[in-house]
Amino acid sequence: MMESESAMIELENIEKTYAAGTVTTPVLQAITFHVDRGEYVAIMGASGAGKSTLMNILGCLDKPTGGQYRLDRIDVVNLDDEELSHLRNEKIGFVFQQFHLLQRTTALKNVMLPLIYVEDYPDDAVERAESALAAVGLADRMTYRPGELSGGQQQRVAIARALVTDPEIILADEPTGNLDSRSGLEVLAIFQRLNRQGRTIVLVTHDEAVAEHAQRVIVLKDGTVAEDRRVSRPRDAEQETNQDEKGRA
Amino acid sequence: MRLSRMAAEGVQGLGINKLRTFFMMAGTIVGVAALVVIMAIGKGTEKRIMKRVRNFGPRAMMVIAGGGKDLPPPDMNVTTLTLEDAEAIRSQIDGLAIVSPMAWRFQMNVKHEANQYQAIVWGVEPSWHEAWQWYPAAGEGIADEDVATMARVCVIGRTIQRELFGDRDPTGERIYINNVALSVKGVLENRGSSPIGTDFDNKVILPITTAMRRVMNIDYVGAIRLITEDPKRMAEQAAAVRRLIHQRHRINPSEEDDFRIITADVIAQLARGTSRTLSLLLIVLAALSLTVGGVVLMNILLISVAERRPEIGLRRAVGATQRDIFVQFLTESLAVTVLGLALGSLLGLGLSVALPRLTPIQAIPSWEPLLLASACALLIGTFFGVQPARRAAKLHPVDALR
Ligand SMILES: Nc1ncnc2c1ncn2[C@@H]1O[C@H](COP(=O)(O)OP(=O)(O)OP(=O)(O)O)[C@@H](O)[C@H]1O
Ligand SMILES: [Mg+2]
Repeated sequence: MMESESAMIELENIEKTYAAGTVTTPVLQAITFHVDRGEYVAIMGASGAGKSTLMNILGCLDKPTGGQYRLDRIDVVNLDDEELSHLRNEKIGFVFQQFHLLQRTTALKNVMLPLIYVEDYPDDAVERAESALAAVGLADRMTYRPGELSGGQQQRVAIARALVTDPEIILADEPTGNLDSRSGLEVLAIFQRLNRQGRTIVLVTHDEAVAEHAQRVIVLKDGTVAEDRRVSRPRDAEQETNQDEKGRA
Repeated sequence: MRLSRMAAEGVQGLGINKLRTFFMMAGTIVGVAALVVIMAIGKGTEKRIMKRVRNFGPRAMMVIAGGGKDLPPPDMNVTTLTLEDAEAIRSQIDGLAIVSPMAWRFQMNVKHEANQYQAIVWGVEPSWHEAWQWYPAAGEGIADEDVATMARVCVIGRTIQRELFGDRDPTGERIYINNVALSVKGVLENRGSSPIGTDFDNKVILPITTAMRRVMNIDYVGAIRLITEDPKRMAEQAAAVRRLIHQRHRINPSEEDDFRIITADVIAQLARGTSRTLSLLLIVLAALSLTVGGVVLMNILLISVAERRPEIGLRRAVGATQRDIFVQFLTESLAVTVLGLALGSLLGLGLSVALPRLTPIQAIPSWEPLLLASACALLIGTFFGVQPARRAAKLHPVDALR
């Protein structure tokens, strides 16, 4: 296996097959690519192409049935469930299409959730959560519950939650899927800002326009990598937001 | 500490759905309350028994005219118990400190001038005072001489004094029973009334000879009170007395007795009577509601685990281990039962306080049953909480998040 100092994700011949009784469904076959530290990658593909399946493997929520996966030079395939849990807590921030916020809990408490699973609970947990919320522009919404926030705001709370542990990498599966275009752009702008600050981001989408905000696009087709290309001039979500505003005015 | 953080998450789970939390607690509340009430009733009953036994006399036995198993009064139609029986007991049964026969009549009209009152009249020997530990508060008691001379004297209870004489000193005054004039020698100590309302002070005592020959015109007695020297020998002595009277009354083993012997043990048994069945009922209720409550708790928790799959998935995604999830859900179950325990204890204590006021049931609340109740509740919370907690912990994160 090729090793590289700057590699954050190294996938070699990843396979995932679902077995239900005698029927086996191969979903991923021989997936091989690397993602470098600080890269912003979009994974695209039609519905059922295996994007979420791949994302779950990248996020150490699920294990591949074959192949090698190294995350930040750690061999993930051999870790047990508890080690994987600690690894997720330490290195990965998740953003989901459905936000997955705890409904009866304030934004601040939602953002603090990953911290309670940190081995040494930080003394400054509240301050960290506050600054994570401030980083997504929600400093004035700390005590709101999800039901009192718009979809876009809820997704920003979810991003703050992903950031609070200061993870190496952010994995987002269709983060704009449930949002209107404007809120979607806000989320994408945040991702771009985080990426400029050096954070590695992998984003799954089936929307070409969303994917073009990344530096690189990997297209899955029938469980294999059909295309892996650089985006020569990524779109700037912040600029688009401003133009949008001007257009409306 | 990680464990306490997970536990705190579990406790917060109680607030998620208050109605559901209440249903989860219901069985524990009822079960614990029942346990607390059982123990309170048990204690109350014990106290009542002790009091009855003390009133009856812990060293006392009574031979009472008439068969059956009940407490006094004697059967007035039975005329077979006699002073000779008492004399035979005195001479043939050893270890008895006192043998004191009594003749009895209820509802006798007692008159003084224009006043009259219905009283219980006892014909007694002087040993009666010692046998009942009941002495005159004023004046004198019945003496040997009174019995020997069939003296026309009496000692009256506080109620009779009040009804016939008001505040006046009755000593030396004259009262009439069945047109027999009796001079009042003294007034008995105040004894109040029984829990069922019998007025102990509504009585007149006369020398037994005076009572039998002059007032009642009978040649039999209603009861013989025996005081043992050694309470340990009571059962044996009671059996000996029974044999003696069988013999004297020529009663075959196949025939029904024309007397009964009441001891402190019999009194205790009778006093226990209904409260035992009530306690049994409550024990069944407690056991039933704790187990049914436990099963309900488990099922609601299982439903709750199914409903909260996304939450569980999210927690796993952000770093919760299986153990963390297990601890959280087990704590939730335990917290529910602890809360149920607290509410059930309060309810139980409340009922224990209210019961004696609203019903004749005696109950004394105490803290000891809370120990037992806590043990039960924690056991149930753990036992029925483990499976849902395990199911939550074993959920695959990907399935949970879907
Ligand atoms: N647990 C499972 N058991 C069997 N098949 C599964 C399971 N999970 C996913 N699949 C199959 O794997 C394939 C890829 O699913 P996946 O969710 O990764 O697609 P996707 O690219 O994310 O699609 P979408 O854009 O609709 O979200 C699908 O055909 C799906 O039916
Ligand atoms: Mg998907």
